[in-house]
Amino acid sequence: MKRTIIATVISAIGVVGAVGALALVGSAAPAPKPPPVGPVVPADTGAGEMLLVVLGGVFPSRAEAEAASAAASFGDLQGYYVVPVAQFQGFQEQVGAPGDFALVSVFRTDAGAQEFAAFARSLGYQATVLPNRVRSLGGVYAGLGQEAAPDGSGPLVGPVPASLP
Amino acid sequence: MGSSEGSRHGRRRRRFLPFVAVAVVLAATPLLLAYHWARLGWRDWHYNYPATPTGYTQIVNRFGQPCNADAYAISMSWVAADNGVTYTPRFHRKLGGYPTEMVSNKGGRSTNLDNDVYGHIQNDHLSAYTKSGIWGYLCRTISGSSSWSTHAWGIAIDISASYEPMGRCYSTVNKNFAYVFKNHGWRWGLDFCDPMHFQYAFGY
Repeated sequence: MKRTIIATVISAIGVVGAVGALALVGSAAPAPKPPPVGPVVPADTGAGEMLLVVLGGVFPSRAEAEAASAAASFGDLQGYYVVPVAQFQGFQEQVGAPGDFALVSVFRTDAGAQEFAAFARSLGYQATVLPNRVRSLGGVYAGLGQEAAPDGSGPLVGPVPASLP
Repeated sequence: MGSSEGSRHGRRRRRFLPFVAVAVVLAATPLLLAYHWARLGWRDWHYNYPATPTGYTQIVNRFGQPCNADAYAISMSWVAADNGVTYTPRFHRKLGGYPTEMVSNKGGRSTNLDNDVYGHIQNDHLSAYTKSGIWGYLCRTISGSSSWSTHAWGIAIDISASYEPMGRCYSTVNKNFAYVFKNHGWRWGLDFCDPMHFQYAFGY
């Protein structure tokens, strides 16, 4: 009986000791390194701004738009984004119906829009730069900021005169 | 007597034969290389390459912000072997555009991509493997991510994109010339299952 109690006490101490040692090692171990990527592109929707839309297609449902987006490969680069047509004022007048979804990428400068449209077309995808700018009402991110600033300093992260209402 | 002298001469001749062979090879190699280069008016300059950066911070320190004017300052023509389309990839000023026998002065700082890598591929008769879908600079993020692609710095080029889809962990076409890129400081995207992609950066 006495031997059983001693064995139980030793086992309990052993378990507690092992847990303590594991906790100590865990706390001393260096934190896992984050993946080696830089600052992310901010999800700028340009709410209130007048933007240029490169249109890849209009679909009656989100599921169909998502499927078309998934099927379009731009290699290792981001292609179109799926957005509701109602997200942009003036968009519906140029394409689609209020309930529709579209594959788009939006830009502040004509150079940015034309550059992406040429890239998409070279891959064999539809890419139309809509003739009139549309007003962003916010909503989901649609690629804004992925164009060079006109002064050549880096990505364009703010409005330009042409995009101001 | 006569026959032993003949065999001695023969032994001496045989002894000198390797030296003669080495001398001929040594003399002929530069001549052959010179002929090969002269035929296309090309030579591998290896002039002023920037050190290949590792990680985002080094990329920015060496090549500036993504989408900056230097990232798309230089362009070159590259004809795809399969469809004959001439692509015009743009790339960073520090990776080419320096005047050589093959490249006009484009205001670039080195001979890396447009003279040395491209020239090597041509001179090694590998251009038949560079196929449709050739892109350099593009101010875009990585597919499905909000991190900048190395294309946004003009330090990446996609080749044979129609044949080497992203996500495939083997190569059918680009494997034939990938060594040329590797020998000039580039990393091949096959390491991360993107065989169309070559980038002048590690750890990103």
